Amino acid sequence: MAELAIEGLSLRFGGLTVLDNVSFAVEPGELMALIGPNGAGKTSALNCISGIYRGSGSIRLRGGDIASLAPHEIARLGVARTFQHGELFAQMSVLENLLTGRHARIGTNPLAEMLFLPSVRRAEVAHRAAIERIIDLVELERFRHAPVGALPFGVQKIVGFARALALEPTVMLLDEPSAGLNREEREDLARFILRIKHELKMTIVWIEHDMQMIADLADRIHVLDYGRTIADGKPDVVLSDPNVLIAYLGTETIQSTTA
Amino acid sequence: MFRPVPRASGYFRTDYAQDMALLQTRAERIGLAALVGVLVTLPFIATPFLLDLACQVFLASIGALSLMLLTGYAGQISLGHAGLIAAGAFTTGILTREINAPFWLTLPASALTGIVLGLVFGLPSLRLRGLYLAVSTLALHFIVIYLGGEYETKRGFSTGILIEKPSLGGFKLTDGRAWYFVLLIFAAATLLICINLLRSRSGRAWRAIHTRETVAEALGISISGYKLLAFVISSSMTSVAGCLFAYYRGFVSIEAFDLFLSIQYVAMIIIGGMGSLLGALLGATFVTIFPYAIEALLKLLPNVQKLAGDIFAVNYASFGVVMILFLVLEPLGLVGIWRRIQNYFLLWPFKYKPLASMRK
Repeated sequence: MAELAIEGLSLRFGGLTVLDNVSFAVEPGELMALIGPNGAGKTSALNCISGIYRGSGSIRLRGGDIASLAPHEIARLGVARTFQHGELFAQMSVLENLLTGRHARIGTNPLAEMLFLPSVRRAEVAHRAAIERIIDLVELERFRHAPVGALPFGVQKIVGFARALALEPTVMLLDEPSAGLNREEREDLARFILRIKHELKMTIVWIEHDMQMIADLADRIHVLDYGRTIADGKPDVVLSDPNVLIAYLGTETIQSTTA
Repeated sequence: MFRPVPRASGYFRTDYAQDMALLQTRAERIGLAALVGVLVTLPFIATPFLLDLACQVFLASIGALSLMLLTGYAGQISLGHAGLIAAGAFTTGILTREINAPFWLTLPASALTGIVLGLVFGLPSLRLRGLYLAVSTLALHFIVIYLGGEYETKRGFSTGILIEKPSLGGFKLTDGRAWYFVLLIFAAATLLICINLLRSRSGRAWRAIHTRETVAEALGISISGYKLLAFVISSSMTSVAGCLFAYYRGFVSIEAFDLFLSIQYVAMIIIGGMGSLLGALLGATFVTIFPYAIEALLKLLPNVQKLAGDIFAVNYASFGVVMILFLVLEPLGLVGIWRRIQNYFLLWPFKYKPLASMRK
C-alpha cells in the first residue's frame, strides 16, 4: 500500500485553477521529487496534503482519508513539512524551535506543567534527548542555544528541516529546502536527505529546482505544469522527456540543445 | 528561554535536567536568597504607606503577569482585564455578602468565574485578531461592570460592597504585614506558574501561535485549543487577583474597575517590555508607583496648594507622555534597559557582544 496517495486533487482560487486533477502515490521509503516551473502548483499541492488548503479529491495516508482533517490532526498522524521561506520562530532558540516541532509527540498537560511536576520534568528531559539526536543528525550542535533569528540563512534552512524531523514523521514534505543555500550547504542537505531516507526509512515528497540534485537523489520525479501532471517516472526518463523540457525551457531552446 | 547564554565560565552541565534548572550557578542562588531576604525584612522596616504600596505592586504583578502570558506570549490582545479583576472581586463580594462564604471558597470560586469568562471571551479570538479582538474583549469589561452595578443597586449596596477581612486557619488577616506576605506568596506563585508553563509544551505552543499561526498548526498545534487555554489560564489568574484585591481593600465597587485600569494593565506590559515576565514585574512596579511619584514631585513645587485640584489631570497627562516615550524610544521597555545595563557589566571592559549570544 502506498504511504501517501493523492487522487484527482483539484484546487481553485476563484476562477484560477491551481491544481487540476493531480494524482500521485508515494511508496513507503520512496523519495519523490515534485518539480515544475514557477506557479505550477507544487507548494499548493503540499499545502493540500498538510491541510492548509482544501482541495477536492482524495488524499490518503496509509489508506486512511486525511483530506477533511485539520492541519494539526494531519501533523499528528506523522506528516511533517518544511516551508519555502523557513517560517521559523525567530526569537526562540534552535532547541525551542525543535521542541515546538515535537509538540504532537509530547503528552504533558497544562495543569501538570504549571507546577512542573516530576512527570513533566521527565517528559521534557526525554524529549530533549530525542531532540539532541536530531541536532546530532543535522550537525547543529554549536547553535543549539542561539536564537534562530540571529543565525545565517543556510543554518536557518537546516533548522527548519530539523524542526520537521522533530515530529518523528513517517512522511516528510520538503518545500525547496535547498533554495538560497550555497554549494557546500546543498551537499550537507543532500547528505541529510539521504540519511533520513535510508536510516529513518522516511517517505519524502521533495519540491526542488536544482535538477542536478534531483537527478542524483530522487527515486522518482513528478512534474507539474499549470496545475496538471505532465510527466511521472524515473529521473533519467523524466528529465529527458520533451514535454518537461518544453515546460521548463521553452521550445526554441530544445532545438539548440539537441542540435 | 530563561538562559540563552551560559553566564558563568568553567561551569558545565552534564545532563539535560541541569540544563533546565531555573537556578544554575551559585551566584544565582545567592542572588535569589538575597532577594528573598530583602522581601522578608522589608515589611518590618517599611512605613504603613510603603507597605500598602508594596501590596499594590504585588496585586498588579499578578494581573500583569497573566496579561503578559496572554498578550506578550500567546499574542492575544485583551482590553478586558479590568473586567476580569472586577469579576473576581464581585464574585468574592457577592459570595461573602450572600452566603458568608469563607476565603477558601471565594478564592476557587473567583478562579472558576475567571475560567468561564476566559472561555467565553476567548471564543472571538478563534475568528478575530488584533484590533478586532481587542474590541471584542472590551465587551467583557462592560458586561461585568454592568452586572456588578445591577447587583449593587438591586441589593442596596449602591456605594459598594463591604467585605470582612478573611481568616486563614483561625488567623484573621487584618494586619498590613500579614497581607504583605499573603500577596507576596500569591505573586511569587503566579510568577512560578508562568515560568513553568512557558518552559514546557504549552508555552512553546503559545509562542509559536504568536509568531505564525499557519506554521504552528502545520506543526501539530491545535490553534483553537491553545488560544482558549491562554485565555482561560490568564483570566482565572486575573480573577484570583480580583478576589485578593476585594479582601485587601475590604470593599468592592464598580468605580474601582474603569477602563483606565485595563489601559494601565496594557501599559504595564508595554512599559515593562513585551514578551518578558521580568518586564511584567517591572511594568507593574513602575505603573503602580508612578502616580505616587508624580504626586511627590508636584509637592516639591512652590505654591502646591494652587495645584491641588490638578494633580489628577497632571497624573493622567504624564502617564500618557511616559507611554508615548516608551513606545518611541524604548520599545523593549524597562526590561530592555535592564538588559543593556546587564550586558554592559557582563562584557566590561569590552564594548560589543558577539552576535550569536544575543540575549533575547
